[in-house]
Amino acid sequence: MTRSSTMRAAVVLAGLASAATPALAKDIQLGAILPLTGPGAVVGTQEERGIQFATDQINAKGGIDGHKIVVQFEDNQAKPDQAVLSFNKLVDLQGVPAIFTGYSGPTLAIAPLATRKKVLLINAGAQSDKLATASPYLVNTLPTTQDEVAIMSKYLIAHGKKKAAVLYENDAAGIGGRDDFVRLFKKDGGTILAQEPAQFGQTDYRPALLKLSAAKPDVLFVVITAGMVPLADQLAQMKVPYLVAGTSFMADPAAIADPNSTGLIHTQVHIDAPADLASAFHAKFNADMDFFARQYYNAAQITFTVIKKVLDEKKPVTGSNLRTALFQIRHFQGLIPMDFATNTAVVPVDINRMEHGKDVTISANGK
Amino acid sequence: MVALQLFVNGIVTGCALGVVAISFSLIYSTLRIFHVAHAGIYTMGGYVAYSLVMHGVPDILALLLAMVAAAMAGAAIQVLLYQRLAARKGTHLVVLIASLGLLAVIQNLLAAIYSANILQFPGAWSGEIVNLGDGIRLTKVQFLTVIVCILAYIGMMLFAHRTLLGKRIRAVASNPFLAEITRLRPQAVYVYVIAIASAVVCLPGVLVPYDLGLQPYGGVTPLLTATIAMIAGGVGSITGAFLLSVAISVVQNLSLLVMPGEWSIGVTFFVFVIFMLFRPTGLFAAR
Repeated sequence: MTRSSTMRAAVVLAGLASAATPALAKDIQLGAILPLTGPGAVVGTQEERGIQFATDQINAKGGIDGHKIVVQFEDNQAKPDQAVLSFNKLVDLQGVPAIFTGYSGPTLAIAPLATRKKVLLINAGAQSDKLATASPYLVNTLPTTQDEVAIMSKYLIAHGKKKAAVLYENDAAGIGGRDDFVRLFKKDGGTILAQEPAQFGQTDYRPALLKLSAAKPDVLFVVITAGMVPLADQLAQMKVPYLVAGTSFMADPAAIADPNSTGLIHTQVHIDAPADLASAFHAKFNADMDFFARQYYNAAQITFTVIKKVLDEKKPVTGSNLRTALFQIRHFQGLIPMDFATNTAVVPVDINRMEHGKDVTISANGK
Repeated sequence: MVALQLFVNGIVTGCALGVVAISFSLIYSTLRIFHVAHAGIYTMGGYVAYSLVMHGVPDILALLLAMVAAAMAGAAIQVLLYQRLAARKGTHLVVLIASLGLLAVIQNLLAAIYSANILQFPGAWSGEIVNLGDGIRLTKVQFLTVIVCILAYIGMMLFAHRTLLGKRIRAVASNPFLAEITRLRPQAVYVYVIAIASAVVCLPGVLVPYDLGLQPYGGVTPLLTATIAMIAGGVGSITGAFLLSVAISVVQNLSLLVMPGEWSIGVTFFVFVIFMLFRPTGLFAAR
């Protein structure tokens, strides 16, 4: 047999083989832009695990209508400029229709790009108020800081804590939280005595705490997204006589485990993982399925539900079609009930108190 | 009382920064290398001590072993990187970029090994309070930081002026060409200098994380502030670098009394920029 006849036979055989085998469904590529290095990595890594866990689960079941899900993870180091680079890479080179995102600054930076390029952004970790209206293509599975602050503000006033000081992170999330608290606390009848900033990743809070303590507040409201353990330690060392309160930013697992955090209260989106799910997660990653892992697992499940609807309707999986399908479904029952009347889901919010390594609910759903 | 406590906190931070500054100054004034990777050595020392402590090694021994590890790492950097770049006639810019690259490698290695989480040293002793009277309180580790860092400053002064090696280093720093022809072996001195500076920077590199936690990217800000202190103090002056570090920290802390925290760093450094305009060689520069 000559070389050319061998080639012809191979081509014919390949053609027959492809005709006999059903066409393989194409993988669906999604993106995730999260802080995987830097001070935000403790949260970003858990977010990554939550998405990967949900993805592995759905792929183990054969994917969505035969389409495997592939998530491309990009590291934004919690920096807006890095997030923009990652967005362009994922959208222009990989052509992803949807991207999981986290942290307010980076998410706000890519929101206009998502609008322009019609890419669905799913945020399950950032809470700046600006996220609610940043883009029609941005959906938030968490309430904004404002929603949580409103609950905490009312709780504090109801418990006689009417004079407050504020320690906030000097970035989009922290400044937004501070502004919300100052506005809502005053509206509820409280007084703001002092406020001091901290830089992202900072761990020496003593100068700011000294200044804030000198104002003699009833409560210190804290809006920082990293460095909770050193803060709790320094508060304990200073033996501060006032209550310390915050939002779910405080719910760093390491801070909860720190005995010095005992007495700190914070709002908390109520999201639990069933025991079998949590143990499977632990077996896979040798880590507890913390709040952020649960949030992003839940967000991934919502995304998969939306993709299935688009596929069932025989439409292409584009950001625009995903967005339309999400608002058509509107009610989701993942790890928690979630309603998308607007871009920001309505979910139950509790008030928790850290007690000797545990996070105990002291007020269910803000009541 | 708040002012006094802020002042004392400034002294604590300043003493730690002072040791970073004098160790960086020793390298810069001798090797003329802007050794940015010194921030990586500072951070690495903390992680080495952390690993040892987590494996049951007593705190003091862990500190000493971290200093040894840092000295070896510093010497390796000089022999394997800077010496080779010098042999290939690498410009100052090339050396700076190599040092920056090395810093990124060290930081990312630490993050990969230990995670980017803020790690806390075990042991309750460090958080115990020392009452200095008038309501002025420090944690034990803060108190220890001041003592150790002042001793390190005194030790460096004695080393530089009273020991044979110290005098040899000063001679090489003063005139490397003359040192070469008088057989002071500058290349060997450079290795000693970077090893000694790396060991010394481990003192704050371990003690500060004992108080505030460990982060793989935590060394850059102290080095930046220490560099400014070194320049404002007068390049080559150990006393200048140490005192200016303390002064910057105290001013930064006390400025909180009259302005919000977001302004304090900017205003403090603005004051030093103005100062440098009038005395560009630094406060303690040799005339």
